[in-house]
Amino acid sequence: MTTTYQPAIPIWCAGCGHFGVQAAMNGAIRTLEIPPHETMILAGIGCSGTVQNNLGTYGYHALHGRVLPTAAGVHLAGHLVHSFRRNASFTYVVMNNGVYGLTKGQNSPTFQSNGSAALEFDAISLGLSIPSTTFLARGFARWTDQLDRLMLAAVEHARAGRGFAFIEVLSPCVTYNDTYPVWEASLHDLDADGDHDPADRAAAFAKLTALAETGRMVVGQIYLADDAGPADPLPRPAAEDTSPTTNAQAYAELLGRYRV
Amino acid sequence: MTLETQRKLNDINVMVAGQGGDGSLTVANLLGVLVGRSGFRMFTSRDVASRIKGGHAAALMRASIAPRGCMGDALDLLVAFDEEAVERGGPWLAENGFVIFDSSGGPAPREHLPAGATVYEIPFARLAVRDLRRDLFKNSLGFGVVARILSVPDDEAADVLSRRFAHLPPRVAEANLGALRAGFAYADDNGLTEGAGPLTLDRAAASDRIHISGNEAVAFGFLAAGGRFFTGYPITPATEILTWLERMLPRFGGVAIQAEDELAAVNMAIGAAMTGTRSMTATSGPGISLMQEGVSHLGSAEIPLVVVDCQRSGPSTGMPTKPEQSDINMVVHGGNGDFPRIVLAPSTPDDCFELSVAASNLAQRIQGPVYLILDQAVSQDSVTTAPFAVDAVQLAAGKRLDADDLSATSEYRRYAVTDDGVSPWAVPGTPAGMSLVTGNERNEWGQVDTAAANRVAMVDKRARKIAAVRDDLPLGRRWGDPDATIGMLGIGMELGAMAEATERLAARGFPVSGLQPRTLWPVLDETVEFIRDHERVYIVEHNAEGQLSHLIASVGAPHDRLRSILKYDGIPFRPGALAARILDAEGVAR
Ligand SMILES: Cc1ncc(C[n+]2csc(CCOP(=O)(O)OP(=O)(O)O)c2C)c(N)n1
Ligand code: SF4
Repeated sequence: MTTTYQPAIPIWCAGCGHFGVQAAMNGAIRTLEIPPHETMILAGIGCSGTVQNNLGTYGYHALHGRVLPTAAGVHLAGHLVHSFRRNASFTYVVMNNGVYGLTKGQNSPTFQSNGSAALEFDAISLGLSIPSTTFLARGFARWTDQLDRLMLAAVEHARAGRGFAFIEVLSPCVTYNDTYPVWEASLHDLDADGDHDPADRAAAFAKLTALAETGRMVVGQIYLADDAGPADPLPRPAAEDTSPTTNAQAYAELLGRYRV
Repeated sequence: MTLETQRKLNDINVMVAGQGGDGSLTVANLLGVLVGRSGFRMFTSRDVASRIKGGHAAALMRASIAPRGCMGDALDLLVAFDEEAVERGGPWLAENGFVIFDSSGGPAPREHLPAGATVYEIPFARLAVRDLRRDLFKNSLGFGVVARILSVPDDEAADVLSRRFAHLPPRVAEANLGALRAGFAYADDNGLTEGAGPLTLDRAAASDRIHISGNEAVAFGFLAAGGRFFTGYPITPATEILTWLERMLPRFGGVAIQAEDELAAVNMAIGAAMTGTRSMTATSGPGISLMQEGVSHLGSAEIPLVVVDCQRSGPSTGMPTKPEQSDINMVVHGGNGDFPRIVLAPSTPDDCFELSVAASNLAQRIQGPVYLILDQAVSQDSVTTAPFAVDAVQLAAGKRLDADDLSATSEYRRYAVTDDGVSPWAVPGTPAGMSLVTGNERNEWGQVDTAAANRVAMVDKRARKIAAVRDDLPLGRRWGDPDATIGMLGIGMELGAMAEATERLAARGFPVSGLQPRTLWPVLDETVEFIRDHERVYIVEHNAEGQLSHLIASVGAPHDRLRSILKYDGIPFRPGALAARILDAEGVAR
């Protein structure tokens, strides 16, 4: 056995929503029996940006606000893709607490200035408006059963190559913006709502909007494209044979185009 | 014109100019193919306004038997499609130069031309052929007159034209040949008979050569060095690297992405580089400004990436289509914190190819950022040169660990402190290679750690990586008289003008020796020694503050020997003007 780094103990305040997120991520990885070397967790800067230290996988601490392009780069270069299976996608978890925890409590863009529960900036609505979206879910850090289920579904979706899985977790900051009570009181659980069909994008949008107008937020599997099959295989640059000898012929031909 | 009065040229400078989008480049291209058959080498350049259609646009071409890296002092031939072209090109015309002018709107404005110039006024519009695109027609007609001026046989000119239009419908090709013949007929009427023009071209043995721009050469070098992931965001004068790689990388299993901005571009490239894929991003000054945080992160987190800066005139958005070398301070000193980096600065296309390969290898070896800095002229001018030594390219993988290496060791620390500062690394996905990568200060395991002793050990470890490759950093190019007491030093586009100015100065009995440092950072000992070895060294650079000169002085070169020759008007040096500035500075009568 090669000894690698020792997973850290979370640095979060007791009660921080981020614990719930980490537990759900850990649960999904364990349930699916994904070996740690086949998982890479990329996180930004902030309290949320320490979760990758705690699970024993490959971890990357991105620049502030830049985790998405970096993850896209890792994904498109394709080495992990190779380890999972061809054309796997990745799971994007937004840990929404409405504040900047690490820098001690300034408002973030998702801060609810009017004191209501309804999100003023709603990433899920944005996701719904993008035709290529295949998986949208929202969980609440304290509703762990549902969160675990959604996280597992998201990771499975991505691993099956069905596309980008987006999951927003309402993850309150107990120290600077304790929204547990307001949020919990305003949640509408779509999974328990008998007439929600996650494959119906328009209905999901209508429901979200109507509930927001009455100050409520939806959680659950909001949208899941029913036709999301494996996409076309992506190139895997990381696995390409780049040796000059193998490519000599092709390079020489290319050079020939510049002959005068 | 009798053969006795013909001037035989081994070096000819041509400008074809008109309104942008008007196809001015075609005559220059045709002429390039024609003289290429006589064994001439080409230097081709553009002078365009920063807009899509309209605005003055000029194609500049120099054809010479000797290899040249810049335009010459004066134009021998000006093909002007409008008055503005005469206004701009006229002052640069040789005393005995030739002008072909589209006189549809009136006679050529002679006040802009030297008294000795010969002007051929051709009313292109009146000679217009129906169903023919006017710009193509103009070019073919003009080319006929140019061929006669150069005493080229009609058949040879027709052959060049037919090949050029071979891929177009026969109707178009035939119409252009018609236009060419109209050009011959016009020439006949004006005393320019076949094979007996005022100029003839020398001949040299043709050898195996390519004609390519610096941007294409950088992109090619990246591919040949095993580069398979590229990100960019369109910006003049770097865009050709993006478009070239968008076309070529997919054929080699690679990926080229146009990102949403430069922040995404550098961070995507960082992600790809972490997987072990050789990666690169390219932009110009404004984009480099945005990428500074990313570059600093590459240094801290120890991720290998090549960052290309095709410099243009700044500050801010400056003059997008004009060359400058004013990002030197930013690439050498920019980014927060102390971190190791390498800055390479190529000049000619073959240099661009070589240094692009070197940059990719060095990035892997130091696991950090390597800048490749060009300028608009190096990026976009094309030069005839020997084919690149593609089969001599070797890949240096740096210190990597695979699953077998890992299973043979008891411990894997991503940031292990080593003698040379380089920590062997395993890419994500490798069994037993789990690691934490971060731009924060961290311990050997990658865990955030701000303890004083760890901090010092890590800063020192990272710094040692440069010392480890220092002996392999690309040395500069030299020319001129090695025993001269006066030196000349510059990077990028200055090389062509400097080398030729050196010949002019030598012919005047004023020997100089030259150096083009190819590694800008760290400043190599050879650069400092070059200053010490001369009484005075002229530092030739395109910026207003003497950034290169300050850089060299900052590492211990004796200040009192440095003399700045600066230019920041957006126009490259011409050899004669550069030689004159040195003679003036030396107080030698010209
Ligand atoms: C370019 C840049 N600007 C500002 C910062 C300072 N900064 C560090 S963490 C942070 C906010 C973190 O908030 P969030 O991403 O919401 O995570 P949280 O701490 O709330 O979990 C800021 C502004 C930075 N690291 N980089
Ligand atoms: S400050 Fe807020 S976000 Fe940060 S750990 Fe504490 S509770 Fe969580």
